[in-house]
Amino acid sequence: MATLALGAAALQRDHAIDRNDADAVEAALAASGDASAFERLYRTHVARIHSLVRRMLDDQDADDVTQDVFVRAWQKLGTYRGEAAFATWLYRLAVNVILGRRQQLGQRRERFLPDDTALEVVPGRSRSPELSLDFETAIARLPDGARQVFVMHDVEGYRHEEIASLLGLAVGTSKSQLHRARMALRRHLNG
Amino acid sequence: MISDPWTDKLSEYLDGELSESERLAMERHLVACPACTTALAALLRVVERARTLPDRPPARDLWTGIANRIAETPSRSEELRTRSWRWTFGIPQLVAAALAIAVVSGGGVWLTVRQPAVPATAGGAAPAAAPLTTPILPAVAGEARYDAAVADLQRVLDAGRGTLDTTTVRIIEKNLAVIDRAIADARRALAADPGNAYLNAYLARTMRRKIDILRQAATIVVSRS
Repeated sequence: MATLALGAAALQRDHAIDRNDADAVEAALAASGDASAFERLYRTHVARIHSLVRRMLDDQDADDVTQDVFVRAWQKLGTYRGEAAFATWLYRLAVNVILGRRQQLGQRRERFLPDDTALEVVPGRSRSPELSLDFETAIARLPDGARQVFVMHDVEGYRHEEIASLLGLAVGTSKSQLHRARMALRRHLNG
Repeated sequence: MISDPWTDKLSEYLDGELSESERLAMERHLVACPACTTALAALLRVVERARTLPDRPPARDLWTGIANRIAETPSRSEELRTRSWRWTFGIPQLVAAALAIAVVSGGGVWLTVRQPAVPATAGGAAPAAAPLTTPILPAVAGEARYDAAVADLQRVLDAGRGTLDTTTVRIIEKNLAVIDRAIADARRALAADPGNAYLNAYLARTMRRKIDILRQAATIVVSRS
């Protein structure tokens, strides 16, 4: 019985199809014109991409830009050769689309946190039980530039050198904006 | 808000970006500064919360809009025809590679499958079960050989299926269905892009996985005999 249980468990554990491999096959099918395969990729990755767009831009543009990301991905599928995981390839494409939209929108809002008084733009924590939504709302209220640095570094894991290159900043500016964004957001986790 | 040279360096300290001398100086400062220690703990909570933010899909399904837009995109077939081929591995070569790997990893193992025990006769003597032997992995390449190896293992599994519990059977059949779907998808994708190195390697890996699943299932059958 122990051997049987061990064998069955091993079957279940060891032979699951890797998500990355499945994505690569779907991407290849989609690249040949299979829209159903591309829809499956959309449904697998839309939550991640939409969340990234929403955090980097804002709710108002999130749906449009998410659609732009997937349309661009469809157009560029021929360039995906499987060297990186499809999710990684799609994610990098999304960041490029987002940064392009950022320039297009010509955002005029105060982009960075210039001094301590600007930290007051993020109100204190509400009584909402949805802590994640509360924190996301707080992130959305950060000035655009500070928000993008915070999202790229703390949420998405980019290094300051990468952020600086992508956003056209000095590394020192990226570091200081990250610190100020964190200090502004900590009020939503206190009390 | 607290703002002084020490506080302004808290994030860099948290991220491990201070020099060794700066780090040591900060740690000495933290011992004596409760305000900075509190601020540091708060920053750590912010970072931890950021790292665990869940992803949320859009409130409405965006697929229809995407589908309409991609339908306007010209066919990709022309692009595929002009794409240069980096690799020219065909299926038979890769199947041979997959089988070669399977033979090396499996050591050409032979399984013994016992026939079901015959009930005791009225005299009380039970005849001994006669073992059957089935080669698991013929050491010859080619897709036909791969199919033959799969068929052999499938026969072993089918012969002993009645000795397995329903959970195990369900897991085996589910895994085989997933693998077969993956193989079919990979073959379809390769039909459109035969030179795709990743897909070729993926198909070879997936075909080997099917052999592994069948071999493992056959082992379970034997262990139950």
